[in-house]
Amino acid sequence: MPDPSVPLLRLSKVTKRFGVIRAVWNVDLEVSQGDSLAIFGPNGAGKTTLLRIIASLTQPTSGEIEFAFKGDNQSRNRVGYVSHLSLLYNELTGFENLLFYARLYDIQEAHDRAAEMLAKMGLEGARNQRTGEYSRGMKQRLTLARALLHEPQLLLLDEPYTGLDQHGSRLFTEVLRGLKQEGRTILLVTHNLGEGLELCDRVMIQNRGELVFQARGEHLDKSGFEKLYFQAVEEGGER
Amino acid sequence: MNPIALTWVLVGKDLKIEYRSRQAYLTTVFFALLILVIFNFAFDPGSPATREAAPGILWVALLFPGIIRLNRSFQVEMEEGTLYGLILSPADRGVLFLGKFLANWFLLIVVDLLVLLAFVIVYNFSFSVQLLWIALLIVLSALGFSAVGTLLGAMVSTIRTREVMLPVLLFPIILPIILPAVNGTQEILLAQEIQSLGRSVELLVAFDVIYLAAGFVLFDYVVAD
Repeated sequence: MPDPSVPLLRLSKVTKRFGVIRAVWNVDLEVSQGDSLAIFGPNGAGKTTLLRIIASLTQPTSGEIEFAFKGDNQSRNRVGYVSHLSLLYNELTGFENLLFYARLYDIQEAHDRAAEMLAKMGLEGARNQRTGEYSRGMKQRLTLARALLHEPQLLLLDEPYTGLDQHGSRLFTEVLRGLKQEGRTILLVTHNLGEGLELCDRVMIQNRGELVFQARGEHLDKSGFEKLYFQAVEEGGER
Repeated sequence: MNPIALTWVLVGKDLKIEYRSRQAYLTTVFFALLILVIFNFAFDPGSPATREAAPGILWVALLFPGIIRLNRSFQVEMEEGTLYGLILSPADRGVLFLGKFLANWFLLIVVDLLVLLAFVIVYNFSFSVQLLWIALLIVLSALGFSAVGTLLGAMVSTIRTREVMLPVLLFPIILPIILPAVNGTQEILLAQEIQSLGRSVELLVAFDVIYLAAGFVLFDYVVAD
């Protein structure tokens, strides 16, 4: 277990460039155990790149990333990642997908764990159905099950609501709310203000790679946030 | 999970996906057969010129469809971003490479042996023990081809022009295995006496070891960013 006095994740002056494009710029960020943090921003703000850096899917051009848990393999074991891509094999069934990932993460009793996660996400009935035949909502729940198989301490969610209808969004939010109550640390990247504000205690706005605004839930006027968001984005755009 | 067991989990996953989709597999076999038939029409059937060109034709029919197989291998991993799923896991990246490589190697051998069978029929060669030597050359060259192809396939998987980039990068690198394979086949099919086949086999084995070791070590760097 990580030391509670040490942030679970700390980013110092993290920058990522793609040629002349500045995708992430000078980002300082601390995430503590149990935090639920939403990062908002327009398309191209660098949110996905920031999350990919944290997930170690891409290396920053400069800056440092520290996890409370040390070591490359340790951090990969403690992080769960959900993106708008499912990271699931369409030709495998829901159960086979989870079983495959359970083995990849060296989970003991992989069969039981895969079955347990299917049940938790309400997908028992679709256990032997190929995921290519799943609806978008079912697939996204299975994606979440995949990301939670190894009980990660930090859950990274990249635009998880993309393509979900209202019913699917509500179901997904309920599952995430349950995870938050369990004390999981959640870092959500989205441009959907409503879903993010409903779920998270901390919010940030990223624009043109920079984090231009941050606040904690108790200091945040949620009803006026939309106005604040557009103001922050437009100011960033004029730079 | 120990690395050997994990490797088989990865191989099993790829074989299951390939068995269930079958689409790319059939396309690969059909493309290879098409090459054999087109060359057969281009040359006068049964003429000495056709027999002399036959080893080259066989290897064209083996190598170009092999590219389809390799492209398909990483196309599956990019459709839903599953390559990221593999990279995000704590599994050793060398093991990820081995799993992918072994699946590609196995699937390539099956296609290649079917192509060899069709080649013997279309080009009117007799079924003899010598074909086993060609099968050995195919198995050995498929090993190097799959090792380099798996590494390069991962490297180009995220770029838009991957279908073109893969053969452009792959063929120059695998020349050291294509040449002894073609020479060996020529000797088996056309020479009165087999003399330097051992040398071709030695070269193939040597480059297979180099390519496999390079793939195992470099895969981590290739998928790191």
